[in-house]
Amino acid sequence: MRITWRGVEFRLLLPILLLVPLGFVITNIALTNAFEPGPLHLALGYVALIVGAHLILVGFGHRGDQLILPAVGAMGGIGLIMLNRLPQDLAGTAAFGFELGMAATQLLWFGVGTVVMLVIAIGLRDDGILRHYKYTWAAVGIGLLAATLILGYEVNGARLWIDLGPVSVQPGEVLKIVLVIFLASYLAETRTLLTDARMRIGFLAIPPLPYFLPMLVLFGAVMLIAVALNDLGTALLFFGTFLTMLFVATGRRSYVLIGLVLFVAGAFVAYQLFGHVQLRVEVWLDPFADPLGAGFQPVRAIYAFGRGGIFGEGLGQGLVTLGGGLTIPYVHTDFIFTAVAEELGLLGAFALLGFSAVLVFRGLRIAALARDDFGGLLAVGLTASLGLQTLIIIAGNTKLIPLTGITLPFVSYGGSSVLASFMMIGLLLSISHRSAIGADTEAAK
Amino acid sequence: MIATNVRRLGLYLMLSFALVSGSLVWWQVVEAPALATRGDNPQVIAARRGLVRGSIFDASGQVLATSEVIDGLSRRTYTDTAFTHVIGYASHPFGTTGVERAFEDLLVGQTDPNPLRDLVNDVFDRQPEPRDVTLTIDKRLQDLAAAELGADTGAVVALDPTTGAILAMVSTPTFDATAISGDEAAARAPMEALRNDENEPLLPRASQGRYVPGSILKVFTAAAALDSGAITPETTFEDQPRQETEGFVVDGFTITEHDLGGIEPALWPLSEALQVSSNIFFAHVGLELGPDPFLSYARRFGFCAPLEIGPPERALNVSTSYVTANVDGDCSPFDGDVLLASASFGQGETVATPVQMALVAAAIAGDGVMPHPFVVRDVRAHADGDTPSETVLDSFASRGGTRVISSEAARATRSAMVDAVNGELGRVYAGQGDITLYGISNARSAGKTGTAQLGGEQAPHSWFIGFAPAEEGGEAEIAIAVLIESGGSGSDRAAPIAGRVMAEWLQLSGD
Repeated sequence: MRITWRGVEFRLLLPILLLVPLGFVITNIALTNAFEPGPLHLALGYVALIVGAHLILVGFGHRGDQLILPAVGAMGGIGLIMLNRLPQDLAGTAAFGFELGMAATQLLWFGVGTVVMLVIAIGLRDDGILRHYKYTWAAVGIGLLAATLILGYEVNGARLWIDLGPVSVQPGEVLKIVLVIFLASYLAETRTLLTDARMRIGFLAIPPLPYFLPMLVLFGAVMLIAVALNDLGTALLFFGTFLTMLFVATGRRSYVLIGLVLFVAGAFVAYQLFGHVQLRVEVWLDPFADPLGAGFQPVRAIYAFGRGGIFGEGLGQGLVTLGGGLTIPYVHTDFIFTAVAEELGLLGAFALLGFSAVLVFRGLRIAALARDDFGGLLAVGLTASLGLQTLIIIAGNTKLIPLTGITLPFVSYGGSSVLASFMMIGLLLSISHRSAIGADTEAAK
Repeated sequence: MIATNVRRLGLYLMLSFALVSGSLVWWQVVEAPALATRGDNPQVIAARRGLVRGSIFDASGQVLATSEVIDGLSRRTYTDTAFTHVIGYASHPFGTTGVERAFEDLLVGQTDPNPLRDLVNDVFDRQPEPRDVTLTIDKRLQDLAAAELGADTGAVVALDPTTGAILAMVSTPTFDATAISGDEAAARAPMEALRNDENEPLLPRASQGRYVPGSILKVFTAAAALDSGAITPETTFEDQPRQETEGFVVDGFTITEHDLGGIEPALWPLSEALQVSSNIFFAHVGLELGPDPFLSYARRFGFCAPLEIGPPERALNVSTSYVTANVDGDCSPFDGDVLLASASFGQGETVATPVQMALVAAAIAGDGVMPHPFVVRDVRAHADGDTPSETVLDSFASRGGTRVISSEAARATRSAMVDAVNGELGRVYAGQGDITLYGISNARSAGKTGTAQLGGEQAPHSWFIGFAPAEEGGEAEIAIAVLIESGGSGSDRAAPIAGRVMAEWLQLSGD
């Protein structure tokens, strides 16, 4: 093991280390009108966490991509600043004899997530365990879904949560990763067969069905259950990730086209069958039709974007509460991006979007440089999942597409989401590390 | 290798990021200025929470709504529930409706009625003062109309046919909006109760309720047919007496007469036909007029499109009334002669708001000119007490009207309507709308009852439209529409209410 200095990563982390505590101080001054630092220990804890992660990567001679951690750190930092700015009683934990507010709880989850990320990034020397047990992973996925279906309880009409004593978890978040691993493994094995479509109708290449079947069955089951759980956001995310991986594996636009046609057909059927889907589409088309009822959240979100303007209202100066209630319900999860756009303006929103774009394009770079198909497809799947999740929720906030209740990775409040996102980063870093090592070995020969 | 595909994927994702960025620019840059001043913007709501709202007075200076700031929260007090659906409410959690909404910016002083001062205030960033608003409605007439409706579900709309000033506009059941206008926590339970009340007290029936009009629509059919020349006051239909008993077969469907109450069928011209309210006669008139002219006259009278009370930029909305099926907010073309014949006597697919029907009466009363209705008379400086300020800052005069039929056609219709309440047959059949029954001896009224069949077991809607005084050459001072939901026959319930309200107005206005 040889130390690698990871200088790029360090230099990029520096601004975050300064700006997160500064954000906390500014927020506190704006909120209290007094020149006091406020809960600065949370900001310093966060800084310590990120620096610690960096140093451990350095210490273990990790050769993984050096832009990923700064991008994640920036997003998490903006998220933590916003969560610290919102009313702290929106969420939190009271386990182990501690009473923690929302931001403190989120920091705790960042801590757990970072450790998990490091363990995966450094510990996963060989991807055999992922690749060879694909049906085991598929079974784990089905098991997770079944557990949710049976043991889960509902929050806002979607049954996503399982209660595990001190904490509640969303198995769907972990399922995302399991599904990507399965698909990467399956597609890596069969991609030549899948690409080799002999049947054609006109310009449309018909997929060779027998090779598709196992994947489609599993995937169909997952989609059906996700719809049954009334978790449309997750269903959309799964489907998008699936199509993306299929596209990269086969390079065939026609498969994506068929997938999209199926999706539109499915969406149409769902629209006809389910009242809540119809309502959501109606609200999307004209939220102002019922601004105090069904359209309340989207209308309030639109106004928040408007208030933010280009430069934002300033940290701590947005209109977060109104008359004893939240101006936008679920501002700490589904609408955290709106809160950022309100207080930091279009510039802040672009910055956040930019960090996400950096993460996505570095993820794709890792995929392109991967030593084998499995690693490449895994990186594509993880990146697509993170990127699409970001795009879906932000586009939902801005009314570009109908709103679905999913989190903004690294920014929204929520332990399961934070944990899953960090696991995915851990996997990306480990793929990236192995590519670098592999390239070195080749050069040495 | 997959690397090429990854590169292509990168392009698609870049496009998606650009698209999302575009939507952000849309809201945060392009739309932001327009969003900033809208009434349901939380920022505007927050700013108004602590602002004093101007008071609202009736035409005679009686106070109807005041506000005071307690603990930094502006609270509204409404003094008369008869006005609830006109004034609306200004509620912190539930937004604003009615006049409160239409005049929001002036009431809270966000804009100044004087554009120059508005500009100065803007330049110096000065907060303009709240303004008071005076309605055209007299509290005494409004209260009488509300009392007459009593516990019934219904509406009364009365207006000055010459100016279009609303004189009374009552919907029942009503509610006290004071309870839902103050503090959020306290307002929630009363609002919940109102929303769950099956009698729908939140619905402003006068302007938003749509009802089958029944026979009162014959006034429109007659006016349109007379104006187009399809009939004259002397026109009769040869087969009509026989069809009164045997039925009138249109496209294989038999239109039957309602119970004529023992009156012997005869060859009736317009006046008699309106007096006994012959469906058969008006079915003939409608068919004579034809589907396209029927629709185009309906549009002229205000059907088939939303109506507004007040100038467009400060209007109270009135739901659209229809003479045929509602297709995307417009009247569809007539689907066959049966529907045309039925529409001619106010059945078929016809639905109308009480405001629309009052305007039909006003158009006949106004010699063929339908007035543009308005309900706010002026804007004044804010008065601290219960007496309106003398300083009138802006006033809303009549905005005239639109000629919908010729003067001759209006006169002929008026004459038939006078007969419908005073004629030999009319008195027997439906004479209770006559104001001479209510202590007025020197003036006559004109009108028409309606008993709108709803099918099934439901009792019919009771309607009356009319106006007074209705003498030849005189000028009508009040036109009215009265509706009682499932109130039975028009002559039993609606006509006496209309008679009393019209009589009261003639007395109040000094006749």
